[in-house]
Order: sequence, then structure tokens, then C-alpha cells
Amino acid sequence: MAYFKDDQEVYAHIGKLFEDLSVDPELSPKFRRADTIVQYQYRNPESQITVRMKESEEPKVDLGRTDMEPEVVMTMEADTAHKFWLGKVNVTVALARGQMKAKGPVAKILKLVPLVKPVFPKYRQQLAESGREDLVDVA
Amino acid sequence: MSVEEVAGDLHGRQMSGFKDFYQFIAPTRVIAGRGLIEGLGFELSKEGAKRVAVITDEVIRATGLIDKVQAGIADGGLEVATIYDGVPPDSDSAVVVAAAEQAKAEGADAFLAVGGGSVMDTAKASDVIFTHGGEPRDWEGYFGLPRADDGLGRPYELAPLGCVPTTAGTGSEVSFAAVIKDREEHLKFQVADFPMYPLLAVLDPEATRTLPPHIAAATGMDAMTHAIEGYVSREWTPHGDAYALQALRLIRDNLERAVQTPEDDDARGNMLIAANLAIAPTSSGAIGITHSMSHPAGAHFDVPHGIANAINLPWVIEYNAAGGTDIANRYRDVNELLGLEAGGDDATVAHVLAEHVRGLVAGLGLPGRLSEVGVPESAIPALVAGAMGDGCTLVNPREPTEEDFAQLYEKAL
Repeated sequence: MAYFKDDQEVYAHIGKLFEDLSVDPELSPKFRRADTIVQYQYRNPESQITVRMKESEEPKVDLGRTDMEPEVVMTMEADTAHKFWLGKVNVTVALARGQMKAKGPVAKILKLVPLVKPVFPKYRQQLAESGREDLVDVA
Repeated sequence: MSVEEVAGDLHGRQMSGFKDFYQFIAPTRVIAGRGLIEGLGFELSKEGAKRVAVITDEVIRATGLIDKVQAGIADGGLEVATIYDGVPPDSDSAVVVAAAEQAKAEGADAFLAVGGGSVMDTAKASDVIFTHGGEPRDWEGYFGLPRADDGLGRPYELAPLGCVPTTAGTGSEVSFAAVIKDREEHLKFQVADFPMYPLLAVLDPEATRTLPPHIAAATGMDAMTHAIEGYVSREWTPHGDAYALQALRLIRDNLERAVQTPEDDDARGNMLIAANLAIAPTSSGAIGITHSMSHPAGAHFDVPHGIANAINLPWVIEYNAAGGTDIANRYRDVNELLGLEAGGDDATVAHVLAEHVRGLVAGLGLPGRLSEVGVPESAIPALVAGAMGDGCTLVNPREPTEEDFAQLYEKAL
């Protein structure tokens, strides 16, 4: 059974994380150096998050429909995304297994991976604060 | 060895022991030996080919090898639909499309790449365009080719592809990625998916008979880098280790012979096999930051990939080994295999191996500094940015910072 029951739950947790990161004074400037627009397309439940990380424009996060044109598209199960933000997914392995599929100039996103480690505890804390401790201890 | 070193969770890496998961893929049928060019048609027919588009470059064609390839295809009762010989050293999107269009216009149903990495990557990407249409950049990324079951099932097959490598280095004849240049945007991009594994790789020393020694040296160092980085990557696997270590044995015994006595068919044939084995660990993502450093040097300054790897590798060995005994122990294995001093502390082991590589590079007549191949000190910030964003960085055993990369480039300059 999927961790999130519908797209609104995905947006309430993973979406909120992206929104928080987009205004994080320490991490946002680093992410903007990627200079791209990435769209995360999730399955089970179907959902979509589009994130603008451009040096020349303000960060922007669209949950669901968007008018932004993504340069990179990452496709995965919403469960895989959840586990990634818990620090439990090795991106290289996930790509090799086909759990994550990447379309476009993936290097722009891969260079962010080492930067996201400080986000893992933030995500756990966010889940706990929203009463979803059940989502923290997943295998 | 301590429990931590075996369990390997000190730095989120595991350099020995039983892994929770790995995937190793080697789906290409490899044939190696003498006289195989004559039987190309026979071998390609087993892969379903009837009308073959031969992809090559003008240099290879001028050696007369393609005449033998044509005869070999015809001897097996197959037809050569067309020969595309316009692949440049760094293939680009326009070339990929042109080759695909020519193959389609001439009624081809299969591809045969005869050349080095650029030719083989062109053939792979052309096969994608030939089968699925579009432009190469449309397929940029990993695992993005069309699949059954609404994109979740088995990927659709491409037209049969065979490869006859004419250099012993890239291993592209058994890998699933194509690196293509976008000349308008001055960048290289990758298209990679399972169907891009060639169905057939033909390793015949006849195909490297006219290889200039300096290219044999550079491509051979590329193979050596694949083997060492594959063995010491955080994505090492027992399967990959077997391939990497046997590749290193063959490189140890044949690289200098193949460069210094080009008429030595055995040495050249063994180097083809070594390069073919050395790339295998990358199927599980095992590689490292020598490649991260070399890719931007190639993109910005056209430094040949093998030469960049040869220059960068020893500095990376010394850097990585300082990251922990679990990493240094893997280099210790390499030293032992190469007949080098394998005792001493981590830094000693790394220095011995690094010095061996430097000596080998010098002995092969290759440049030892990036500054000798046109890389200025002022380029370090751009090179560092490229290296940080390279996918190979994620799988390096030691996690580099921007400052680390800057220092590595300063040393390599």
C-alpha cells in the first residue's frame, strides 16, 4: 500500500518540503545554481511537482498543474520520492534499477544530491510535526 | 580490519562484505579471436540483421578495414544497405540524425559500428532515432526510451546493433550509453537505456592493426582508469570486481606491448578484451571522479578522454585513499595484482600506485599535465563546476567538495 493516499497528501508533505526549501536562506541559493526547472512526476498516487531553480528568477514551486516548462523530468513512485527524502534511496542504484527515470540534462540535478543531506532530518521533523510519525519509520 | 570497515557505514559507503542490493548487467554477446571480420555476416544474421547500415569514420574507411567488413557481411548472405562514414571524433546530434536518416532511406534493418567510441555512440544514438524518431536531445537522460505497459514495462527493442571496436579503451561496444555533443550549446549529453546495449561485440585485433601508438596508449589508459575506478567505486560489486581485476591483469601484461610493438596481434587482441572487461563495472554504476574531472576537460578544451584520465587518475588515487582504510585497501589489492608494494600505510599504498601510473603514462609517451594539453589555470572554476555536477561524482568512494576538486585540478595542471 502506498504511503500517500492521494495527491493532496503528496503535496502536503513532499510539496511542502520543496516550498520550504525554496525559501531556505542557506539551501535555496545553492539549489538555484542548478539553473533549471525540474518536474517530478510521481505515480501511486499520480501527482506532479514542478520546481524552478533559476539563478535569474525567484524560486517557484507548483503543485499539480503548471505553466512552467521543465528542462529535467524525474519520474518515480511517490513512495520512492518519500524514501529519498528520508535518506533511504541511493540515487545511483535507483536509476540503475529503473526506480527513477530521468529525462533531460540530468547532471544539473545530480550535482544537487550531495547538498540535500541536511534536508533529510528536516523532512523527518516536518512529518513528525504534522502528526505523520507513521511515515518516518518506513523500510 | 574493524567491524566498521567491513560494515562500511562510517561514511555511508560499504567497500567490502555482502551488499543489500546490486544489479549487474552484461547482455551483449561478445566474440573474440582472429579472423572474425570475415564472418561478420554469419554473426550478424544470428541477431536478425538482413540489410546492414555500417557506421564508421573516414579515417577507418581509408585504412581499408571497411572493405573487409563489407566482404564479411556479404559472405554471410547479408547486404550492406549503406555506409555512413561521416562520424567526427566528437560525434554530434546532426551526425546522429544524418546517419539514422541515411540508414532509413537505404532500407537498413540493422546497424554495425566499426570504429572507436564516437562511432559506436553515434550508432547507438542513431539506432534510437531510426527506431523511435525525434532528435537525440529528445532522448537525453536515463531509461527514457519507450516501454510497454504505459512506460513501466519492458523497453521496446531497437534495430539489431553490432560493434567492431577499432580502439581498445571505451568499452562502448558493451555499454548502454551514448555520449553525444550538442555543438550549438557546447555541451555533451548522454542517452542511456537498456535496449542500447549492442547485441554483438566483435573483438578482433585485425580491427586495431592501424591504430596509431599514441591513440593505443591513450585509450589503453582509459581502460585502466575504468578498471581501477570500477574496482574502487562505492558502487563496486563482486561481479564488477571479477571483470575489473582481470582487465587489470591483461592491461598489466599487454598495454605497453601493444603500444610499443603495434604488430603484436596478441597484445592488441588482449587489450581489446581488457577494455571490454574494464567497462563492465559501470553497468552497476561503478566509476569515480577521475571521470568527473576528465569530462569537463574534454567538453571545454577537447582534451582526449583517455589522456585526461591518464593525467587525473594518480591524483585521484592519492585523494581517495586518504578518505579511509576501507578505500585504501581496495588500492592495496590493485597494487598486489600489478606486482607493486602492497604493504605500508594508506598513504604509502596510494602513492606507490599513483607513481606507478605516472611512470606508465610517461613511458607510453603521454602528457602528464593538463597544462600540456591546453587547460589554463583560469579554467579551474568552470572545471570544478562541471566535475561537481558529473554523475560519476556521486559514486566516488570519497565525497569531494568544490575545494577538493579545485585542489585536484591544481595538482593535475
